[in-house]
Amino acid sequence: MGNIIMNLIVAAVLAGTPLLFGTLGEILTEKSGNLNLGVEGMMFMGSIAGLAGAMKYEAVAANPSGSVAVLVAIICAFGCGVLGALIYSIITVTLRANQNVTGLALTIFGTGFANFFGEVLGNNAGGYAAVGDVVKAGFSNVNIPVLSSIPVIGRLVFSYNSLVYVGIITAIIIAVLLNKTRIGLNLRAVGENPSTADAAGINVTKYKYLATCIGGGICGIGGMYVSMVTCSGIWVHNCVSGKGWIAVALVIFAIWRPKRALLGGLIFGLLSIMRLYIPLKIPMQIYDIFPYIATIIVLIAISLRRKRENQPPASLGLAYFREER
Amino acid sequence: MKKRLFAVLLAGAMAFSLAACGSKEEEKAAEAVKEAVEEVKEDAEADTEEEGSGVTLDNIKIGFVHVSDPSDMGYTYNHDKGTQKMKEDLGLRDDQIINKYNTPEGAECETAVRELAEAGCNIIFCTSFGHEDYMLLVAEDYPDIQFCHATGYQAASSGLDNVHNYFGRIYQARYLSGIAAGLRTETNKLGYVAAMPFAECISGYTAFYLGAKSVNPDVTMMVGYTNSWNDPTVEAQVAQSLIDQGCDVIGQHADSTATQTTAEANGVWGVGYNSDMIAAAPNAVLTSAIWDWSIYLEYAVNCVVNGEPIAVDWCGSYEEGMVGLSPLNENTIAEGTQEAIDAASQQLLDGYEVFSGPLYDADGNVLVEEGDFYPESGEASAPSWDKIIDGITILG
Repeated sequence: MGNIIMNLIVAAVLAGTPLLFGTLGEILTEKSGNLNLGVEGMMFMGSIAGLAGAMKYEAVAANPSGSVAVLVAIICAFGCGVLGALIYSIITVTLRANQNVTGLALTIFGTGFANFFGEVLGNNAGGYAAVGDVVKAGFSNVNIPVLSSIPVIGRLVFSYNSLVYVGIITAIIIAVLLNKTRIGLNLRAVGENPSTADAAGINVTKYKYLATCIGGGICGIGGMYVSMVTCSGIWVHNCVSGKGWIAVALVIFAIWRPKRALLGGLIFGLLSIMRLYIPLKIPMQIYDIFPYIATIIVLIAISLRRKRENQPPASLGLAYFREER
Repeated sequence: MKKRLFAVLLAGAMAFSLAACGSKEEEKAAEAVKEAVEEVKEDAEADTEEEGSGVTLDNIKIGFVHVSDPSDMGYTYNHDKGTQKMKEDLGLRDDQIINKYNTPEGAECETAVRELAEAGCNIIFCTSFGHEDYMLLVAEDYPDIQFCHATGYQAASSGLDNVHNYFGRIYQARYLSGIAAGLRTETNKLGYVAAMPFAECISGYTAFYLGAKSVNPDVTMMVGYTNSWNDPTVEAQVAQSLIDQGCDVIGQHADSTATQTTAEANGVWGVGYNSDMIAAAPNAVLTSAIWDWSIYLEYAVNCVVNGEPIAVDWCGSYEEGMVGLSPLNENTIAEGTQEAIDAASQQLLDGYEVFSGPLYDADGNVLVEEGDFYPESGEASAPSWDKIIDGITILG
């Protein structure tokens, strides 16, 4: 029994990590008042950019090493996610277009972008795009001397691939940034009431751009996790397939708090693989509904309780017109 | 051009009015017309016999609709390999083959098939189970184009003579691959990642299990479904779950190599499907149950070129080489595997039926009597065995 629970948790962490990245990126974005529904698109862009970067590095480097490949993939995925978010920012912050429509367009764009370049990469490689064993090894589970061999704890805490730890560290950094620093305070002010922030001397446009772009980059890393870890470095058509949307739901589940995103990622990951470990003798389609039911329940709960600290940023989804102050 | 079209239309209208008159007139006249028509028909048939259908290997166009693309390294990759082999064997050019990759089993499929038909394809192959309904819709509108569907079952009942089903006795290859798994397992617990709870998968894993059981009577098997033909994420998760529950040889009926790479990452063994998967997981894969689709593709294309009818239900066998086993992986197989498989292979060639009785379900009810057998793929080309036998448990 203990073994089953341990396996379940390990599998849940692995399934939840891409969701965690998407959620963290979107929390940062929404804290600036930008509702970017393009998470799925940015994850797609990150997934293909990460894979392409790792492949390129492998082809160019004389002596490719796994950990450098991870770094290259992270940078490429982050960069491509930033690119997607930059498009979004220019359209919504500078040109003040509707955020929902722009986000949806970004999702469609990113999906096509990734599948197109995935196919190009595959054709160039003569069939399909994949990385070699050395790079693949960089994305496999870490083995920390001593720590990884501690019974139970070693498996539960010190046995994942490096990106899982990157995700957890990112969550902590964002949590500290938002709640303990002046930058975080300013950012939250921009998201709650941009005209007040503006009056207080905060550069609203700069904050919106930076938060959205960095958030997009983090989403991109989540996409890269899918292509490099879950699909073991092979480009699979449509590989992100809806994880970005679950991440958008998870932001609400986490009520815009990075630390709760950790919990949310774990729970949603758990729900997505639960049917394989806990047989309830119900049709498997019912299991697939669980994450969405959980989101709806949280939505109902926070709107019923109306606690002020649990509400979304007040100006979320609204463009800021300085002239209308 | 417009004038000509008008002339054709006029001629058509005249012919129609003539026929209408004829039907009103005396029977004699009608009979005369009938005779005349039949004569013309016979002439036409004689013509086609002499010249073929006008389609030659030089001008034939062939369309394919695939559910994913060759990056799956499994089903589509391997079917595409069949296409390449056909192209070489028949001396076709690249521009004679049009592939529609990543076509979902939905309305997009109808569009894809229609595009192929409009692009001038003489024969169109749809390779995924869920493509069949959409292919049938289009086939009605293009009676001169041949439509072939792998894994389907509706050609015979569709009433369309340009629709055909094809498949192979993959269960024979599964049975052989099961022997490798049965000899290898140390926990006596096999795992199996299956795509859908359909006969195609159930027939496959039952044969796999029967193969394992033929050499290891104590073996049991757990089956987990992914609910998708090609979803590497879920395939890896299901495989991981089976391994976590003690399975140490993982078979698969899903398109990608994720099952095998997961087995490798966990240090257990696996049996691949569709194509030789040793390259994907060299320390895990024992062997793979594989297809050679070129055999059917060449047959069907030759039929079109020669103006011969294509079989409504075509089922290739182990004997013909349509299904088979990839070379055993010497680094991973148990001792004596080659000998055991050779012996079973001979049995199959001698006519041994995989689904031979006695077979029971988990409650002890007899499914197939002792001395009897289930005639799998007897009438239709698609597999039809859909019972869960004793020793197999389904996850979830």
